[in-house]
Amino acid sequence: MKKISTAERSVTIARLGASLLVAGLAVACLWGVPGQAVAQGAATIVIDGSTTVGPIAKAFAEYYMSLHSGVNITVSESGSGNGAKSLINGTCTIADMSRFMKKKEFAAAVEKGVTPVAHVVAMDGIAMIVHPSNPVKELTVDQARDIYTGRIANWRDVGGPNRKIVVISRDTNSGTYETFDKLVMKKERMGNATEYLGSNGAIRQRVQSTQAAIGYVGLGFIDRTVKALLVDGVLPTRNTVASGQYPIARPLFMFTNGYPKLGSHVHAFVTLHLGPKGQEIIDAIGFVPVTSY
Amino acid sequence: MSPRALRSELLLSGRASRSNRLVALAGQGTLLLITSCSAIVVLFLFYFIFKDALPFFQLRGIAEFLGSTRWYPSGHPPEFGSLAIFFGTGLVTLGAVLFAVPLGVSAAVCLSDILPFTLRQAVKPMIEMLAAIPSVAYGFFALVVFAPFLQDSGGALLSVVIWVIGIPASVLAMVVTNGWIVSRLGMEARPIMRLLIMMPFGVTAIWVLYHLSASLAELEISSGTNALNVSIILGIMALPTVVSVSEDALQAVGRQLREGSYALGATRAETILKVVIPAADRGILAAIILGIMRVIGETMVVWMASGNAAQIPEPWFNFLQPIRTLTATIAGDMGEADHVTGSARYHVLFAMAFSLLVISFTCNLASEWFVRRAGHKSSGRCP
Amino acid sequence: MKLHMRKILDKSFSGLGFLSISLMAASLLVILTPIFVKGFGAFVFQGTVEFRRLQLEKFERGNRADIEREVAAALRARQPVYDMIAVFEERLQSQGFLERNQHSEPLGELKDALRELLGPFPDEPVPIMPRDQYGQTRWDRAQEKIAHVLYRVEYDHSDPARMGTEVLIPREEDFRDTSLEPLFRYVEENAEKMLLPRLTVYPRFLTDKPIDSHFFGGIWPEVLGTLCLTLGAMLCALPMGVISAIYLVEYAGESQLTSFLRTCVSTLAGVPSIVFGLFGLAFFINTLHITHGKSLLVGCLTLALLILPTIIRVSEEAIQSVSPAYKEAALSLGASRWRTVVTVILPASLPGILTGSVISMGRAAGETAPIIFTAAVSVGKALDFAKLQFWQTCLEATPALPWNIYNLATEHEAVDEIRHVQFGMVFTLIVLVLVLNAAAILMRARIAKKLKG
Repeated sequence: MKKISTAERSVTIARLGASLLVAGLAVACLWGVPGQAVAQGAATIVIDGSTTVGPIAKAFAEYYMSLHSGVNITVSESGSGNGAKSLINGTCTIADMSRFMKKKEFAAAVEKGVTPVAHVVAMDGIAMIVHPSNPVKELTVDQARDIYTGRIANWRDVGGPNRKIVVISRDTNSGTYETFDKLVMKKERMGNATEYLGSNGAIRQRVQSTQAAIGYVGLGFIDRTVKALLVDGVLPTRNTVASGQYPIARPLFMFTNGYPKLGSHVHAFVTLHLGPKGQEIIDAIGFVPVTSY
Repeated sequence: MSPRALRSELLLSGRASRSNRLVALAGQGTLLLITSCSAIVVLFLFYFIFKDALPFFQLRGIAEFLGSTRWYPSGHPPEFGSLAIFFGTGLVTLGAVLFAVPLGVSAAVCLSDILPFTLRQAVKPMIEMLAAIPSVAYGFFALVVFAPFLQDSGGALLSVVIWVIGIPASVLAMVVTNGWIVSRLGMEARPIMRLLIMMPFGVTAIWVLYHLSASLAELEISSGTNALNVSIILGIMALPTVVSVSEDALQAVGRQLREGSYALGATRAETILKVVIPAADRGILAAIILGIMRVIGETMVVWMASGNAAQIPEPWFNFLQPIRTLTATIAGDMGEADHVTGSARYHVLFAMAFSLLVISFTCNLASEWFVRRAGHKSSGRCP
Repeated sequence: MKLHMRKILDKSFSGLGFLSISLMAASLLVILTPIFVKGFGAFVFQGTVEFRRLQLEKFERGNRADIEREVAAALRARQPVYDMIAVFEERLQSQGFLERNQHSEPLGELKDALRELLGPFPDEPVPIMPRDQYGQTRWDRAQEKIAHVLYRVEYDHSDPARMGTEVLIPREEDFRDTSLEPLFRYVEENAEKMLLPRLTVYPRFLTDKPIDSHFFGGIWPEVLGTLCLTLGAMLCALPMGVISAIYLVEYAGESQLTSFLRTCVSTLAGVPSIVFGLFGLAFFINTLHITHGKSLLVGCLTLALLILPTIIRVSEEAIQSVSPAYKEAALSLGASRWRTVVTVILPASLPGILTGSVISMGRAAGETAPIIFTAAVSVGKALDFAKLQFWQTCLEATPALPWNIYNLATEHEAVDEIRHVQFGMVFTLIVLVLVLNAAAILMRARIAKKLKG
């Protein structure tokens, strides 16, 4: 007798489960139905690429979405190279890049029928940062290179205390790394002990919690928890970057496939930085607006 | 209903039964098809990963991949020596195993043979919780809570660990040697002798421990995101696997074996160490292998908290150095690896994924083999 | 004597076992406590008047009159600060170049610190970024900012052989004997009146949209993304898994083929999750072109592959545990094999299957590596099934909790300012997973009881 009742019970449980599943499916399907009418005016802009340009893109995206409620903008921060790749594959509308496109990427793009058009949205300096307790105030580009290759391994050698230098770099997948590689390393290899971190924020955090560390971040990521070093005697500020005095500076790009159609959302988006609001945003996040130099 | 009609209801005509059989066969075929989906997925996995890994070996060769420690994927010219990355994976795996295996196996023994039933019921959900916590949460903990702690007071932590391990160990060693020496002596000198032997031993132990912990306490850890951090967290993540699989293995050893051992006058410790664990050794080995697989395949924790420095630490067992692992490299470097240009840089990541796949496949086969052997063994011994 | 020794060894052995269990418990506690405590802080905290102003202005929430009264009261408390600064600035204008130079930099720093604490000055234009439009919304963060208004950190580099030591210098020193000197005392004493902290329960953290890349607001897009990914993965994997299990248990004999299939399933179970991510990218996106880039659908499919072996395994176990008496009874009644499976075996094993599936849902919810390349983006609107057609929505990329935890903890430009959001996200994710697991455990307990009869 008992067996039968348990069987019944399990059957009820099973029915319950099954009906739940079915209900879930039904709800999921129904969700889609009323949408048919509304789809107009909706547009999706997919942005992919550099983590350095990421804050600008995110801020622009939120600002733009607050103006145009029908537009959905997604931002991925997966590295400049990935941005280029996505643009070439047609998987993103706008590619954020903190370096210019490489020849190879251009060639691949043209072959696929994509014409990359660069929009310079802002300027950025790469600041060398150390812990504020570090007495070192200044480095030359050559010294910075020697630190990163491992030839200088102790702060003593650049006028600091006797502490081993903890060398921190951006991950090799970033445009920041490539710019630093080009402007500072000049084709030399970074030492083996270099730690690689995935983003500007992570580097700043590592440096602010590690007394003997040195790292490099975009201008927008400097705050009072870290100390920016003078490089070749120039402090990285908006003015020195804009005037070209600061040696480690670069433009930040957004790439589109061809020049976007005038009046389209994409066009409005990539020209946002030209207007006063866009410049204010760029300034607020800590980059140098293109109109100030 | 007439008997005739009833018969026609029950008996199937030849054609009907044939068509029924056909339908059943077709149904079964569909089922097989769907089931083999998982097999197809495995084959596809190997195929697609290998397909994208192969160009790397053609372009750069395997000698560089496994023989060099120079990892400069974006240099001019790029170099893809992944030895240090393989080494990093090995090092954290070793660390995690050193952490998880003793702890996990003794916890499994405790669960299966020592704890009373009610307590066991309380512990099990705990293990399940450990297993359920998402890896990104572990990674977040490692990065945000554990790494700063390790950096600021890692030395103190290590010295505390030394005391926690050292005191019970030395007391145990003391008691054992003491008992051994005293048992060789005559009856009358015992209490005094015991004290005499105990004194220098205890003093030495404390002296050693004190100095060890003092030197550790002064240790300066330059970065909290290092192999030790990751090893400990990965060890904790592997614990549930190790515990539950080896507990199953221990449970599978029959009661008869245990009771036989007790009947011979063995204590519980002796029974477990000399009878139960040897009988379950293959199952425990399988548990360890499964734990290792969990550790090797883990991405988020190592990506967030290992420091990602492609180096072999100096000396090689220096757990306080940052390292880089295969999984973290794949996750982190995919951003720059543009497959459009067919660069070696994209394919090297697939080569790494393929290595991971091969490692996990081998581990899996090994653990299955051990489990099967374990089944034979325990069933063979205790029918 | 020897017996005595053996007893001691036995005891210490048991002690070792207990020690390891308690170590395990301790590690669980050490990991969960900070996450739960701080994560809970994202929902319940001391909210300031700025928080209530933000809620009113951005979400139209709260009693407008009350909040406006509060804002006015706070402003009254702040006014002396602004007045003092205005007076000081005016006087600075009339002074000589040297004094102006001496005071302009400390004054700028002070004003920045005050802006961070209280929001923009009343006579300034509204800044464009929401993060600059409001002062501190949380009292715990506000206290740090107050300390920053009162003190500045300097480093003493007098000993060149060592790293400098931190020295806190009261800003009061910078303005000694000026009209600004009383400001600091005033701020210290009236901070609460300026910000009006009050215990705030903010359950809508879960369902609010984020504002200004998570500086304010909630985590709804991530939560929804995770739920959809999990459900979708389940919907894909469950039918396949159950059918595979039925075949393996009920139809396939012990042949070479089945043992091969079983090996495949266990191999699949052991594949590292990041490899699934790569596979999803290489197969679903680059080969099948299901979507051009990341999308919910591809993420679901990838996650489904990940949990498929688990589901097959638990379903097999559940089906095997059905008493053969059921099956035999059904077969003897003339039911076909399929009918038996569908009407007898499956219903009886469904609770077991559901238990296992719920656990693997937890796994799918927490996995990050497979969705990095296939589904997750750092910023995006919450999926909106009402706006687009169902399928179109499935083809959009979405934020998801596990990925955004990583993103916010490592890539965000202001990692430290939004710690509470990160902890809140981790807390939400863990609670989600644990709730799923707890449901599974309860279900299993009920089944165990039932089977005991």
